Amino acid sequence: MSEERYKLHPVAAVITFVKGLKELIFPIVIFLFLGSSGDAESGWFRFIPYILTASALVLYLISGIIKWWKFVYWFEDGELRIEYGLFVKKKRYIPFDRIQSLDYTESIFHRPFGLVKVKVETAGGGIGKEAEAELTAIRLEAAEQIKQEMLAAKAGAKSVETEEGTTEQLAEQIRQEEPVLHRMSSKDLIVLAVTSGGIGVIFSGAAVVLSQFSEFIPYEQIYDEVLSLLRFGAALIAIFAFVVLLVTFLLSIGFTYLQNYDFTVSRDGKDILLKRGLLEKKRTTIPLHRIQGVQLVENPFRQLFGYVTIVIDSAGGSVLEKSETVKLVPLIKRDQAMHLLTELFPELPIEVDFVRPPKRARKFYYRINLLMIGLIGAVLSYFFFPYGLLFFVLAPISIAFDLWSHRTAGIAIHDKHLVMQYRFFSRKTVWLEKRRIQAQMQSQSYFEQRSDVASLHATIKSGALGSRHSIKALEADVARSTMDWYQPRSN
Amino acid sequence: MQTANQLSLKGLTVWRIYGLIQTAFVVLVSTGLIVLNLLFFELWWLYLALATIAIAIALVSIWVMPNLRWNRWRYEVREHEIELQHGILIKKRTLVPMVRVQHVDTEQGPILRNYQLASIHISTAATQHTIPFLDEQEAEAMRQRISVLARVAEEDV
Repeated sequence: MSEERYKLHPVAAVITFVKGLKELIFPIVIFLFLGSSGDAESGWFRFIPYILTASALVLYLISGIIKWWKFVYWFEDGELRIEYGLFVKKKRYIPFDRIQSLDYTESIFHRPFGLVKVKVETAGGGIGKEAEAELTAIRLEAAEQIKQEMLAAKAGAKSVETEEGTTEQLAEQIRQEEPVLHRMSSKDLIVLAVTSGGIGVIFSGAAVVLSQFSEFIPYEQIYDEVLSLLRFGAALIAIFAFVVLLVTFLLSIGFTYLQNYDFTVSRDGKDILLKRGLLEKKRTTIPLHRIQGVQLVENPFRQLFGYVTIVIDSAGGSVLEKSETVKLVPLIKRDQAMHLLTELFPELPIEVDFVRPPKRARKFYYRINLLMIGLIGAVLSYFFFPYGLLFFVLAPISIAFDLWSHRTAGIAIHDKHLVMQYRFFSRKTVWLEKRRIQAQMQSQSYFEQRSDVASLHATIKSGALGSRHSIKALEADVARSTMDWYQPRSN
Repeated sequence: MQTANQLSLKGLTVWRIYGLIQTAFVVLVSTGLIVLNLLFFELWWLYLALATIAIAIALVSIWVMPNLRWNRWRYEVREHEIELQHGILIKKRTLVPMVRVQHVDTEQGPILRNYQLASIHISTAATQHTIPFLDEQEAEAMRQRISVLARVAEEDV
């Protein structure tokens, strides 16, 4: 029984420090600005902000070092055991057979030293983060050793001290590339970067930063200048705004490109393996048996060019962090996507005939939105008389969009799969396996009943929470037969 | 398919009590408004409006809604699934397969205890379903029955 205690690589201390620094950077900037804005305070008081900042930095550095110094992990009794903490000792024992996957990340700090960050994902069902662990920086070989210990434990074998030769052999085995099922081409990558929704995020980020700094801009002084500037140079402001937009746009393209560089999907036994990243390499493992549902998301602009996104719902663990949906491929041509899906999930009915809601169900798609627009428009027109009327321009747009949603909506049953298609903004096609549907509901409002239509809702597990997919106003018989399909048989 | 069961008749009373509490709250607020009106505004029509609203709410929340709700509610625990039907304006029919049930809780607040009632919460990995009013013993029996049935059909999520 090997009970040798292993430590993290010393770089872990630096990484922890830098990570802390990232959190600190904003407070520090604000702090220093605030400090310097104090009016000519005499003597050494002026230096207080700097002294405090420096001591905070030193504290973070020391805590990083202590974290590294006190952190040990070892293998015992078929468990991965971790111990850390200076004053409060924390122990975390994770049985190997509870481990779902080991995910590796290589940041720019890791790569020069051949290190990886290992995240241990367990089948914790998504409740509490207690059973997870993160090894900030260990050598690749050490990561492979953990994997071997895990495989050995899962195979029921006792963890025996592995000999030098076999370790290397195993390491070799792991280093071998699994067959790649899909690799994003650089053309796709560029299309992704350019059409990415990250633009908005970065832009709002820039706005936030700017607004944070607004406190430190001496408005009164600038005010007069700005006024004169406004008289001359509205164009200047427009140019400034454009430059800001352009820069954020380019930045977003850059980030998306770096993050998704060399995106590959491969299959490793019972897992799907995703690799991506140029500066920071990420490896994500998704156990196939944890997958709850598959979605094909088609943003209208990308749909125009035949591009889709494949999204996967997974259950529990922290593999996918917050949202528990993961992009299997962020951008892929539709036919390639279908090919990839058949390869990964042979049982998935790719080509199905959707039963669409009947024509008479149209009103259930646009009526509520129209009513809302009517109400809000009436209020706006009342208070801001002539201009408020402009709001009603939204009505035809909304109707057109809702009719489009009506045309997109559809449902299909194929043996063990329920396939749903609907549009919110992007068109979604969702494949749900019967045994993954947690509950299914048919609902019928008074008006729906009069038109003999009904809505259908299916909930699957997605992370700690559920995710519900609905189709409005289907033919009542179709909804009923879908419920019958879902009802367990008595044999 | 068998005819589904209905909620305990005492549940109707409990819903009426909830309605009574709501009405009491509305009456309290309108009394406050009436006092304000007496002191400052003295609008005659306000009394009429408030009284109408209070009576309407009392009627709906104590009489109409509980009746409709109680009449609509149906549940059925079968060997392989649980079926729930409820909803007044929107009629809902929910199916929860026994294999998907993760745990069952019973709950009893002070009002329910007074009437020897209990509500039952059925949780799957992603959803929760409630049967609001069952007789105490029935709820307990059902809780045990569902746990047994759910355990038989153990399967990976």
